[in-house]
Amino acid sequence: MENLKIGVFLSDCGKALIEILDFDNLTSFLKEIPEVTVVERGTEFWKGSGLQTIIRTIKEQKANRLIVAESLPKLSEIKIVEAAEASGLNQNFVQVIDLKNHCAWPHRNVPLEATEKAKAMLLAAIDRAKILEPIHKLEFPAVKSVLVIGGGISGMQAAEDLADLGFEVHLVEKAPFLGGIAARAGRFFPTDDCAACIQSPASDVKTITHTSRKCIYRSGIAAIQGLKIHTNCQVVGVDGQAGNYKIILEKKPRYINETKCISCNLCAEVCPVEVPDEYNVNLMNRKAIYTITPNIYPPTYVIDEKACKFNECKKCVQVCPTNAIELNQKPETTTLNVGAIIVATGFKEYDPSVIKEYHYGEYPDVITNLELARLLDPFGPTQGKIVRPSDRKFARRIVFVQCVGSRDKRWNDYCSSICCMISLKHAIMIKTSFPEVDVSICYIDIRTTGREHEEYYEKARELGVKFIKGRPTEISHDPESNLLIVDVEDSILRRLLELEADLVVLATAMVPSEDTETLAEIMQIETDEDGFFKEYNAKLRPTETKKRGIFLCGGSTFPKDAPSSSLQAHSAALKAVKFLNTGKIVKDQKTAVVNEEYCGDCEFCPVSCPYDAIELVNVDEKHVVAKVSDLLCEGCGICVGTCPLNAIDLRHFKQSELLSQTRAILSIKGQDKPLILAFCCSECGGASVDSAGMTMSDYPTNVRTVKVPCTGYLRIEHVLAAIRYGAQGVMVVGCMSEGCHHEDGVKKVETRINVARALLKEYGIEPERVELFNTIFVEGDKFAEAARTMIERLEKLGPIRFSKEV
Amino acid sequence: MTKIKEYNVPFSKEVSSRYGGETIVLCYQCGTCASSCPVAKTTEKFNPREIFRLVLLGERQEVFQSNAIWLCSSCYNCQERCPQMVEVADVFFALRNIAAEEGHLPNMYLEFASALINDGRIVPVSKFIERKREQIGLPPLKSTGTDALRKILAATGFNNLQLKKEAES
Amino acid sequence: MTSYALFLGCTIPARLPNYEISARKALSKLDISLVDLEGTTCCAPPPVQSLDLETSLAIAAYNICLSEEANLDIITLCSGCFESLTVANETLKQNEKLKAKVNQILVKAGKEFKGSIEVKHYLQVLSEDVGKEKIKSSITRKLCDLKVASFSGCHLLRPSKVLKFDDPERPHVYDELIEALGAKSIWYRNKQKCCGGLLRGYADDVALAIAREKIINASKAGADCIVTICPFCYLTLDLGQVLMKSTYQEEHNLPILHYSELLSLTIGVDPKELALEFHKIKIDSVLNKIE
Repeated sequence: MENLKIGVFLSDCGKALIEILDFDNLTSFLKEIPEVTVVERGTEFWKGSGLQTIIRTIKEQKANRLIVAESLPKLSEIKIVEAAEASGLNQNFVQVIDLKNHCAWPHRNVPLEATEKAKAMLLAAIDRAKILEPIHKLEFPAVKSVLVIGGGISGMQAAEDLADLGFEVHLVEKAPFLGGIAARAGRFFPTDDCAACIQSPASDVKTITHTSRKCIYRSGIAAIQGLKIHTNCQVVGVDGQAGNYKIILEKKPRYINETKCISCNLCAEVCPVEVPDEYNVNLMNRKAIYTITPNIYPPTYVIDEKACKFNECKKCVQVCPTNAIELNQKPETTTLNVGAIIVATGFKEYDPSVIKEYHYGEYPDVITNLELARLLDPFGPTQGKIVRPSDRKFARRIVFVQCVGSRDKRWNDYCSSICCMISLKHAIMIKTSFPEVDVSICYIDIRTTGREHEEYYEKARELGVKFIKGRPTEISHDPESNLLIVDVEDSILRRLLELEADLVVLATAMVPSEDTETLAEIMQIETDEDGFFKEYNAKLRPTETKKRGIFLCGGSTFPKDAPSSSLQAHSAALKAVKFLNTGKIVKDQKTAVVNEEYCGDCEFCPVSCPYDAIELVNVDEKHVVAKVSDLLCEGCGICVGTCPLNAIDLRHFKQSELLSQTRAILSIKGQDKPLILAFCCSECGGASVDSAGMTMSDYPTNVRTVKVPCTGYLRIEHVLAAIRYGAQGVMVVGCMSEGCHHEDGVKKVETRINVARALLKEYGIEPERVELFNTIFVEGDKFAEAARTMIERLEKLGPIRFSKEV
Repeated sequence: MTKIKEYNVPFSKEVSSRYGGETIVLCYQCGTCASSCPVAKTTEKFNPREIFRLVLLGERQEVFQSNAIWLCSSCYNCQERCPQMVEVADVFFALRNIAAEEGHLPNMYLEFASALINDGRIVPVSKFIERKREQIGLPPLKSTGTDALRKILAATGFNNLQLKKEAES
Repeated sequence: MTSYALFLGCTIPARLPNYEISARKALSKLDISLVDLEGTTCCAPPPVQSLDLETSLAIAAYNICLSEEANLDIITLCSGCFESLTVANETLKQNEKLKAKVNQILVKAGKEFKGSIEVKHYLQVLSEDVGKEKIKSSITRKLCDLKVASFSGCHLLRPSKVLKFDDPERPHVYDELIEALGAKSIWYRNKQKCCGGLLRGYADDVALAIAREKIINASKAGADCIVTICPFCYLTLDLGQVLMKSTYQEEHNLPILHYSELLSLTIGVDPKELALEFHKIKIDSVLNKIE
């Protein structure tokens, strides 16, 4: 092994620290240590001449381990590691510690003690440096091809974005035609334009221009190079992993050869079978061979398998001028290889028939907003005329009921967020075309939170729409007049009303699309408590799943309006591009590694891994060992904390590194107060220690911190080791319980701490010497206070005495 | 005009911490209860949504001064339909229980209470009915567990509640 | 023969001998045997719950204990009793904490709630134990075009979360039992709405107004009678019509029957045995429609 040559760089942060830390003292302390071959002092080391000093030290003085004491730890670390790597030093041989925020600032009133703590911190880094091993970069192939599931607004948008950027894209739609729920809506808010326009929003193939917002039939979507559209098709299998997924598609027979069909409609004219048209929410009939609207993609027909009489009839086959009808088509299975998946499966209207007091499905004149949209559509079953379905008479009085099945704990707890706007849009459309129609909206709260949404509310009022603040208890039907009666309290007037109506429109909740659960199962991704696909992080990573390479957009995660769905589509497409653009996935091998000699026959680590990065593989017929996927492992170390046999470790943060740091940092006491070891995570918990320094919140110097990737890494032995090395108390500082950056690492360590406390009690040691704190960055003062309280508590308890008493 | 100096918010806490009153805090004033209510349809004196509003705003005195809480007919229609699953009828019991503890009991309920303590049942059986029962061939009534009931009432403190009322009247 | 502990409650024995006799006779004819228990008390219905909910739980639990000791499920004729006993029974079966609290009280009366029996309304016994088919086959007297406004009242169905008797928004069990007798169960407005009965004595005007709407809705829909299964509904609607004469100067004369009476009449109980004279509104028009 090469000789250790440790270079230590002490930054006084623009001389800000010289009044607090005795840099001469630190320098002479360091020079006593044989492995430390270089000690440099400066005002900054992460740029300018400071950084040059580091490079020179590596190149000329052959320093092979670096310890840089700098502020702004992460920012400086990136620059320094980059420079070190460029100079030929492995990234893992560089440690950046923060003497400013972890030592000088919080202890600025006790400079002598602060200097002693600084020594302890440097010593910890030096001892760790002695046992560091290099971390290498790994490369995985990434197929530059993306599967987009769902051909609604967001799916089409994402697919076009990706195809425009040169990716191969497979857009899969389960229905025979593109469009999704949005296409049935007719018009959109807040633009008042056609739903069919939004269907093809992105680009003209050759030149992206401002006129590229077009009706679907004019958009040229099918001509975009690299975009393959699979309608009438479902994803039935997903295998493989990020960057390299194997997809199995099952295409249902359309019974029409799309390339031959010329949409002449002769087939539908002769077809003798009529069935209710579900696209038009059963308000009219269609034939067994049918298309939905003239402007749809693909511009062809489809045969309804359940209705068609096939060879018994064959009238369509006889009449088709291009021989496009192929009654013997069979389901086809296709296999794809893609690097990423975008899930854009959308939402659907909740079936309000379960809300029995509203009698949907029983009274034909109680309809949903989507059904009303079909009535309002000039291509719809009534060519835009609003009738009551029971007798097709013109509807003179219309009552909307909001929050049907949403904001209702009996059905769906959440606000579906778009129903107020849909009802307002419809009310305006009705009032504009038929001013004589009486329109009332019964609401609990009107929610118009989006851009230009409030204007709809205003316009509706201007047009004379009546707003009744009250949720109806019941809709009843008077058989004599064939009118509906809506029982509601106008809570502003405190008056009970019975509103007579020709038509009652239910603004129903929006719920996950039918196959959400099945798809989640196939892709092994999570759904939330409402059944939608679960976003990885609502704030910062809303279009990602926990599974790398699988992205979400549009209504698949929650009901959304068209603008938000489009935005999310762009976001998901961009994430896929970021992921696949270089054709490979490059990452550091900062991953867990299994000691196969110890490992065997238990299933704890695969279960505890938040990233599904560990699987069990057979070593022989009877025995299994854990195997870590370097691609999926995020290096949190929760497996380390979990393993009952201590058979797993992190390459970039070995347990030996943790223990040597712990021993070293506790070896210099410097003050007559009890020592505390604070294990903090590298995320919120660690950041709160940083911010205690940044806000200059005082706490005693005898609180010493050691960073771990996640508190879930910690084992009971680590806590006991800290005590063995002289700590009188142990703090574990992690993220908030629900905000752990590695899912539930902090919850797992909580359980372990409770066990550790119980163990200590066995040996007569007060359990309150060990405590977990959950903090976030801004709570530096909370950390400082917790540290002060802990010291006080330990002073009261006195030194640890092992005894048999409990 | 009512000047509201300080909302007595703890009143909703008081109600929600009682058995039966737990769910009142979920109320978002949609009025489903009011439109479900057969009594509210008949008399302006009663509107469950309004009483809940008063409770939530902490208007304790106003709630108990009017006798509206005694107008709920316990039909549970509102409770079935409430979208927040507020147990409306049960909250009314909780409110009445507080009123009972503080001596705001309508006469009829005082009579129920004393009948319960004295006879073990709230509707007395008259001599006339006893004769009639025999005439039409009904079996004689079995004894009522009055003694056992009194022990129960003593154990729950119900007796004290009642005595306090009688001392006041 | 299935045996049940008959829980009579307060109102039926004190006010409605006609209800009790018809129920006893009909159930006996349908092979349901009733055991009268010693020592029952008031069931602690809503008026008592209004005084104190926890006391009410204890009172109801005490009465359930009596049946537990006799190892018999309870049958009630009164929906009020059905509701208060079922709520107590189900709540205490599920809530260990409350159960412990109530048992601390019950111990003073020498009882312990175990949760070993069920509480059933007699309609439930008829639909589940006896069955529509057996009722149909027991019919000896035919109803001639009798249009019945069925009224199940509140506490047979609600709170449905606990009572679980039938779908509270689309109840059908009761109507099916009425149709099993050969009557036609008709629709009328606000059929499921309360009769206002529990406000009698406290707000008689309100109770009467609610009852009046019920009578008018049923009459309008062409009902020959209203058939009830709860003593309160019965009193409110039957006696109520007498009060409507003085209050509203209205004569509705819509007969109100207990389901058990209609059942007894169709399965061959002699009308003379049924104390039908207790009806304030005469039911002759209904009797005339029985062959």
